[in-house]
Amino acid sequence: MLEVTNLNASIDGNRILNGIDLSVGSGEVHAVMGPNGSGKSTFAHVLAGREGYEVTGSVALDGADLLEMEPEERAAAGLFLGFQYPVEIPGVNNMYFLRTALNSVRRARGEDEISAREFLAVAREAMALVEMKPDFLERSVNAGFSGGEKKRNEILQMAVMQPRLAVLDETDSGLDIDALRVVASGVEALRGPDRSMIVITHYQRLLEHIRPDVVHVLVDGRIVESGDHTLALHLEEHGYRDFGEQDGAGQRLSGV
Amino acid sequence: MTTATGTPITTRTDGNDPAGAMPLPTRRDEAWRYAPHRDLARLAFGPAPQAVDVPADVLAGIPQLGGPLVVMVNGVVDSELSQLESLPAGLTVHPGGGADGGDSRLAPHTELDAAAPVDAYDALNRSLSGNGVSVLVDAGEQIDPPIHVAHLLHPGDAPNAVCGRVRITLGEASAATVVETHVSVGDLAGGASVRTSIVLEADATLEHLVLQDLSAQQMLLARIEVNQHPRSRLRARSFNLGGRYGRIASQVDLVGEGAEADLAGLYSGSGDQVLDQQPTVVHRAPGCTSRQAYRGVLDDSSTGVFSGGIDVRPGADGTDARQSNDNLLLSRQAEVDTQPRLEILADDIACQHGATVGQLDPTALFYLRTRGMTEDEAGRVLVNAFADQVVEEVRHDAVRDWLSRRLGHDHD
Repeated sequence: MLEVTNLNASIDGNRILNGIDLSVGSGEVHAVMGPNGSGKSTFAHVLAGREGYEVTGSVALDGADLLEMEPEERAAAGLFLGFQYPVEIPGVNNMYFLRTALNSVRRARGEDEISAREFLAVAREAMALVEMKPDFLERSVNAGFSGGEKKRNEILQMAVMQPRLAVLDETDSGLDIDALRVVASGVEALRGPDRSMIVITHYQRLLEHIRPDVVHVLVDGRIVESGDHTLALHLEEHGYRDFGEQDGAGQRLSGV
Repeated sequence: MTTATGTPITTRTDGNDPAGAMPLPTRRDEAWRYAPHRDLARLAFGPAPQAVDVPADVLAGIPQLGGPLVVMVNGVVDSELSQLESLPAGLTVHPGGGADGGDSRLAPHTELDAAAPVDAYDALNRSLSGNGVSVLVDAGEQIDPPIHVAHLLHPGDAPNAVCGRVRITLGEASAATVVETHVSVGDLAGGASVRTSIVLEADATLEHLVLQDLSAQQMLLARIEVNQHPRSRLRARSFNLGGRYGRIASQVDLVGEGAEADLAGLYSGSGDQVLDQQPTVVHRAPGCTSRQAYRGVLDDSSTGVFSGGIDVRPGADGTDARQSNDNLLLSRQAEVDTQPRLEILADDIACQHGATVGQLDPTALFYLRTRGMTEDEAGRVLVNAFADQVVEEVRHDAVRDWLSRRLGHDHD
């Protein structure tokens, strides 16, 4: 489903990604773990098409060249990015935001816009999935949301947009144990044979709830080790120093 | 036409000013620093031209508020276009032209007229506008339907600029909404000086909306003077959107203890528009509160101006005054000039002010684009969200709908 080949990215002359190769099959969940500054967030943003990076290499989603696409075209092609820091947009309510998001990818795929009634059903189901309160649809996007609500909203958006590939950037950061459980069970519910996920995380604890098929270790912008879920347990015990890092003390490069 | 007070002043500003007239403001006048003086100098003020045809679509293009409507064409009430039959009880509308019969409730306005004009356009207005339209609400009455004063500007060749006048008095403990709309008939170059004076007796509540949407070569010089008596409340919203130059200068005098003035506005410019907000609140009595919250969106090479005054006079202890001005610049050529003017001469007061100038947040744009919106759509959503913080505070659906259409918003 996703083929990443020799992906390099730099910003203002600073190399952040150094030849990432990654292959994610349909229905697979891959975890990308790494210390601060290893390029995890940059990897997520480059996949989603954030401007400002010089990018070489290739990224193919279902055979289509993602790097040639605008961010919105990638969304239409089935890519979803769950943000580490979801953006507050005062003045735009979640109802409008979700409906516009859903309709824009439906339009781009040549499908009809969703009716108001159908949309409400979709939205309510997604809200139930992440235990969002009924007033959610009237509230502004993420404005005044707690950290946990913001992350739950990301999963809610994923549930509405039904992507082929979801890239979840540190979805577990800043969550207490209850919020982590809600987010993780939401992600688990959205697993399926036609949907792949890349779960980016610093810590192993999210992976106690979401068991990945493959774990990759990212250090200095390159994947230095891949293995099954026991690799995450090894990292939890020994940190990243086996991989040439002083347990996250490396210089923070991505700034994101 | 006659003026209530004052000496005859020149009726033309086309370079033939007789000696003794007030000179036109220049760039050196702080309050006029960013105005397009070259275009302003082309305005030739005079009496309203006679017999103007108003196409029906002009009235269809203004908000339909369903209440009393006063249509002023070039500053003169057009009784055929106005809808003043079956006014609600407690509401009086004098259509001007000396027909106010010496209504005593207009006396405070005459007092305001006795003050020296603040600039040449103010002086011209007093000379040329006559009595204008008067809106009077009896004590204790609550007038529910908004009272709409629609100013239609239809410039001739010479003169190409006219004066309009509105007087509003709310009696004790009364309440009303007055909407002033400024729109154009045609697109010839020209301008209008419109002066509105407002007197709020004790415990009165007024919502006053100004919608400025003149055509591209026209200019509005609006001046709004408000006198607020004890515990009266003003809620003023201005939407400065059209025209070559849109100037809305207001002076709110809080003369009675415990009065509240809540002023907000949106200016949204493109092309080479200059949109100028000059609100001043003068705290003259103790325990009054005021709020100024203005937002600007400037595209192309347009200019936004916010010059907000808070003037706390001796004895106005316990004043609570706040001011904010936030701006969004959508182009490198767009400009905003923002400055607070504060003069505090009392004790025990709370006064806050702050201004921001920013661009669209690239992270927010990226966020929306990852959710499938094009760059244009995402930009529009963010601009609308910024502007809607002012629009959504408007309580009247018809006005809010008109603003949403005018600003190209299509969502709730």
